[in-house]
Amino acid sequence: MAFLEIDGLKKRFGSVEILKGIDVDLEKGGFLVLVGPSGCGKSTLLNTIAGLETITEGEIRVDGRTINDLHPSKRDIAMVFQSYALYPNMTVAGNISFGMEMRGVPAVERQKAIDKVAKVLQIGHLLQRKPSQLSGGQRQRVAMGRALVRDPKLFLFDEPLSNLDAKLRVDMRIEIKRLHATTGTTIVYVTHDQIEAMTLATKIAVMRDGEVQQFGTPAEIYNNPTNLFVADFMGSPAMNLVPATIGGNGNALSVVLQRDAREPISLPLADAPAGLSAFQGKPVIFGVRPEALTDPEGAERNASNIATADCHIEVIEPAGSDTFAVTNLGGKAVVARLRADANIQPGTVTPLAFNLTKAVFFDPATENRIV
Amino acid sequence: MSAVATPARQVTGGISARTVNRIVIYGLLALFALFYLMPLFVMLVTSFKTMDEIQNGNMLALPQAPTFEPWIKAWSEVCSGLTCVGMKGYFWNSIKMVVPAVIISTLLGALNGYVLTKWRFRGATLVFALMLFACFIPFQSVLLPMATILGRFGRFGATLQNATGFSFGLGNSTVNLVFVHVVYGLGFTTLFFRNYYEAFPTELIKAAQVDGASFFQIFRRIMLPNSLPIIVVTVIYQFTNIWNDFLFASAYAGSGDVMPMTVALNNVVNTSTGVIEYNVNMAAAMIAALPTLLVYVVAGRYFVRGLMAGAVKG
Repeated sequence: MAFLEIDGLKKRFGSVEILKGIDVDLEKGGFLVLVGPSGCGKSTLLNTIAGLETITEGEIRVDGRTINDLHPSKRDIAMVFQSYALYPNMTVAGNISFGMEMRGVPAVERQKAIDKVAKVLQIGHLLQRKPSQLSGGQRQRVAMGRALVRDPKLFLFDEPLSNLDAKLRVDMRIEIKRLHATTGTTIVYVTHDQIEAMTLATKIAVMRDGEVQQFGTPAEIYNNPTNLFVADFMGSPAMNLVPATIGGNGNALSVVLQRDAREPISLPLADAPAGLSAFQGKPVIFGVRPEALTDPEGAERNASNIATADCHIEVIEPAGSDTFAVTNLGGKAVVARLRADANIQPGTVTPLAFNLTKAVFFDPATENRIV
Repeated sequence: MSAVATPARQVTGGISARTVNRIVIYGLLALFALFYLMPLFVMLVTSFKTMDEIQNGNMLALPQAPTFEPWIKAWSEVCSGLTCVGMKGYFWNSIKMVVPAVIISTLLGALNGYVLTKWRFRGATLVFALMLFACFIPFQSVLLPMATILGRFGRFGATLQNATGFSFGLGNSTVNLVFVHVVYGLGFTTLFFRNYYEAFPTELIKAAQVDGASFFQIFRRIMLPNSLPIIVVTVIYQFTNIWNDFLFASAYAGSGDVMPMTVALNNVVNTSTGVIEYNVNMAAAMIAALPTLLVYVVAGRYFVRGLMAGAVKG
């Protein structure tokens, strides 16, 4: 039995269905990230777990206990809000201890708990300040302190890093990860940033329009996206999704990519998924991540199925650690990720290695993965 | 602006158009300020003059021999109708009415604003629209219905008095006026607080809920401490309105020793027997105006800030 279990959760506002039957579960000590574009229902889902929104149908259980109708304060949860939601009229210490005060914890114990949390988060010198006197990163820390001090069964984070600047965001991301590793707490975390999702999660639920599109480990989500949306949403730079057709005869399939003013590329598929044979002669969407499309010298040595084809390089983007090359296949700009020192010039024709082991195919009609 | 500036530059040669504009603007402002301050000045200087000086001297002249006599007389001796005990009793009448009325209407307005924005219920918008409508009802139209209600209060108070020996304040003129002003002020105070709380971050309320704070704990510990600007606006607005009110005061407490300041002042000035003591009348009027002036001076800078907050974010 999982620690957090959400079964058939539905949420309706009037006739509008915001959550359309969510099934998710998380083991104790796990880190679940709900990720998706704005309006996908991820924050609503988090609020239903917190008890800040009522649910229309379904069940939420924490540690075997159904919490559907419990008041937020009775659910043994703590929440970190996007705006941090620090009480402006109270000091940092007051903010951290407000919950304990409401629960009638004696002052001596409150002070002990504040000191302990302040030590963990290194905010001891800030305790007597008001939130308006803190920087963004410090506010973030205090907000986490307020959650930590409860020692709850479940931590809820609602886009906690989206108000920070880029550098600080990376620092705080690492800090949250460290906190999770050292305290072993169970966390549900909402973000629209797929990098946060990949780096932090033990489980990811990719959401769209109130439905979970895919639920799995970061590696599963990244390598085996179940549909076009997940493939497109996760990964930066995004996966190349190219219209293609399946060619070949008998068991030897190949993927055919159209090019402007030149004859199509045909790449032989050694271990094509079984479902692909039904698409012979039909259009598919060919998906290949930029790192699976590289210069032949930089290609993965032990990949079993690498095909090389000459491509016309239109643009070069040196990013320091890598060089990105843009070519055009099937009418779409396709990004290849090369080594930083790859000798390549824009406007030339260069061989690129396609790592077809990592390639995925989608049905253009249903947008589902072909397996 | 350039129409003023261009000829000015031609005439003076050296002075820039900007300087001329400044002179015109500040000149006009000073003129208007003078115009508005003139009556206050006349009242103030007259209140310190002797009657001889008023009858023989210039209205705008400074007092030759300043005296506090008129102020003392206005405070403790002046006649309002037939009773000659000064303004002090009526002054305290007003205070006793204004302070509770302001506190109660402000608190209720805050509570209304809190519920209308953070605990939205079905029909909340309609309720707010109706309360807003209360701001547009003219005073005169509620005079008679209110008199009927206050009459019932009085009878109920008399019944209670007979039954329990205590009327619970029902039928008391001051209590009546407090009730009237609270009811009439609710529309405005609710409007102020609703607009302020509309921009108040809802996540703070959610955080407090997760922390286990109850409805009233959130109100008292989170909402009120963060509402200083709008509380000041509401208090100034309500204090000025209620203190200066004449219509309700004269209708429901218009005679005897329960009169508020405004009604008493009117009676003092309208006394038609003997010599009209302008200096005493002016001093009495100044005493009547002092509390509102004081409130503005003490809380004025918050007033503008609070109005801005409501206007921009609401």
